[in-house]
This record gives sequence, C-alpha cells and structure tokens, in this order.
Amino acid sequence: MIFLGPLRAAVRSASWFAALGESLTEGDIAEAKVYGGVDRVERVASWPEAEAFLQSPTTSLDWWNREETLRKSLLAQAEQNYPERALWTSLTELTTEVGDLVHGKAATAAARLGNAARASIHVAAGSASQAVYQLAVARIAGAENSVFESKFRLFAAGRWPLGISDGRLVLF
Amino acid sequence: MTDLVVKTVEELKDAPEEYREAVSKLVISHAINELYGAQVFDEPAIAYAPTPYAKWLTCRVAMEEYGHHVRFKGLGAQMGIPEERMVPGAGKKPLSIFEFPLKTWEEFVAIKLLADLAEILQVEDLLHCTFHPLRNLARATMPEERFHAQFGEDFSAELVKAPEGKARLQAAVNEYWPYLPKFFGGSKSRNNEIFRKWKIKQRTNDEMREDFVKRATEVAAKYGLTLPKVAEAA
Repeated sequence: MIFLGPLRAAVRSASWFAALGESLTEGDIAEAKVYGGVDRVERVASWPEAEAFLQSPTTSLDWWNREETLRKSLLAQAEQNYPERALWTSLTELTTEVGDLVHGKAATAAARLGNAARASIHVAAGSASQAVYQLAVARIAGAENSVFESKFRLFAAGRWPLGISDGRLVLF
Repeated sequence: MTDLVVKTVEELKDAPEEYREAVSKLVISHAINELYGAQVFDEPAIAYAPTPYAKWLTCRVAMEEYGHHVRFKGLGAQMGIPEERMVPGAGKKPLSIFEFPLKTWEEFVAIKLLADLAEILQVEDLLHCTFHPLRNLARATMPEERFHAQFGEDFSAELVKAPEGKARLQAAVNEYWPYLPKFFGGSKSRNNEIFRKWKIKQRTNDEMREDFVKRATEVAAKYGLTLPKVAEAA
C-alpha cells in the first residue's frame, strides 16, 4: 500500500458541499480562477440550476478532456514510481472509502437545500471522489502544484466546481 | 438440507469443509466479477458519457462497483482466502461478456439495464444466505445494485425519446443480451446443488435464469425494446 495519510486527513476534515448555494467569497473566486484558468467565475444557487448546467448538451467538455489528458499523464508517471498492483489497490481503496464519505455529505447538502434529483447526489459524490482520485494520482506522481490541488481546495471549502463553459467557471 | 447457520467469520472455521469451500467459491466469484465489470464496462463508460452529469454519475457507479469488489475481497481476506485468488488472472475464467470491450454509450446503458438486473438476482439470492457475513454484505450491496439498474432505466428512457437513439440502444441490447442468461450457470451445476444443500443460495440456476428472462423482458418492454431469442444454456 502507498502512504496517503495526509490526503486521507484532508479528506476527512474537508467541508464537503457545505457551502453549496452560498454567495461566493473572494477566496472562492481566487481559487476558482487558479483552478479554471479563467477570469470569469459564476455561481449557481440551487440543485436544479446545477443540474441544468451539467445536463446541457451545450456545456463544453473541453475542460473534462484536458483533465483526463493530465490525469493519464500523471498516472503514467505514478506507474513508474510504484508497482502496478500497489498503486491500483491504494487508489481503489482510497476512492471506495472517500466515495462513502462524500456520498453522505452530498445527501446532507441535498436535504438541506431541497429540490435535488435523486441521481444528483450520486453525481455530486462522483465528482468529489474523482477530485480526490485525481489529487492522489498527482501526489503519487510527485506533481507539485497541479491543477488538482486547487480543485480539491474548492471542494474542501464546501464548493462544487461544475465545469468550464463559454469562458467561465461555474461554481455551486 | 441442513439447518447450519454461520453467524461470524470465526464460526466458519468450525463449519464442514464442503460448506467452507462453497462459501469461498462464491466470495471469489463475486470479487472477481465485480472487478471485471468495473474495469471492462464502468470505468471505460465515463469517456462515452455525453454530459458532465452523466460522466460523474458513471464515475460514482464505477466506484461503487469497485467498492463491491473491495467489500467481497475484504470478506475473503477475513476468511483467509489469498488476495491473488480474488483478482483476475488467478486462473478463474471470466464470464464471456467481459471479453467484449465497450464501444459506445448505448452499450453501457444496455448493460446497466440488463446485466445489472442479472446482478440484482444474484445478490437477491444471497439475502437469506446461512453465512451471515455474506448475507450482510449482500444487503449492503443491494441498494447500490438497484440504483445501477435504475441508471440503466433512466438513460434508456432518455435514449428512446429519439428514433435513432432507440435504434442504437436496441442494437446494443441485441449484441449483449445473448451473453446474459449464461450468467446463471449450467442447469446441472454441482456447485449450485451444494449451495442449495447448505442454504447458501436459494434457487436453482434454471429458476434464476427463468426469472431473469421474465424480468428483463418486462423492463425492456417498458422502453419499447425487445430481446432477441437465445439458445438455452447447457
């Protein structure tokens, strides 16, 4: 097993989805600009608004594809640093553990704000687990200051970065 | 038939060898097949999902499937099964459906709609298992399996709204359906006989297969889909 203690601790202490719908702070906006590489940051204030953005066929997937390219490159580096089985087992067990935690947090947030589709709780949990997985891969690869650090910090601050489309990053 | 009930992993040590072997086979089978499913279908499907919503939903489903593997592997480890027997490549042949890499989003939706229904039936049969750690694991897994099948239904409902989407989904059903009834094993399975003898499982393979075909036909019909005829399993 690969030691991921500091990341596990950060996951446990994060404020998953606690700030959904709240006004954006200067800190949120600054972090979102670093993560998205954009000048515009917009807020959505409700689950239905978030769902509409995420389900729109016009929402760009370029940012998703960029992150996937980066993840694959970092994963290839991580595979050079550790035996395949140890790497795979560590990532699988981490995401399983995180998945259960963030799923509960997403359900709490959905109950608090109301009007969330049932599947959206799974979507939120999937996005948060993916963020942790991406950061774990980056750290195992030895990548410092990757974009996945700022993405995780947005989640840790209770936000949910929904994606980048039309030159702006959308935060819930 | 026997009245043996094994409430803990510790008690399993005192169970007859045939019972221990039977339980081990089931745990190994579930651990491997959950992993194959996640690797061959769920994880690759993320790339095919058409929107961020569908991608993250698929991420969560993939993680839950990996999580099922982790749960079964964890139980196996407690039972003393070596880890290498619970991952692919250790000699246990995978189900034939896992030999066909996923090519489209519609194929994934068809698999969730129908293959996850098959998985539900397999897990249902363990809900009354006399080995309680396995029964409890099945109970923990069942809500997630039901959600995965619902995922298949929800995206089927989306796809069939457009004639071309419905045609692509029907084509995927036609391609994958023939492999699914084989999930339930042979009609004269010695393993199944032993599982039922010890009430580890409840139904014969043929009973489960018949129930599966009936339920799959009903769920497919809800979306205007049909299932191709399949030759009887051996």
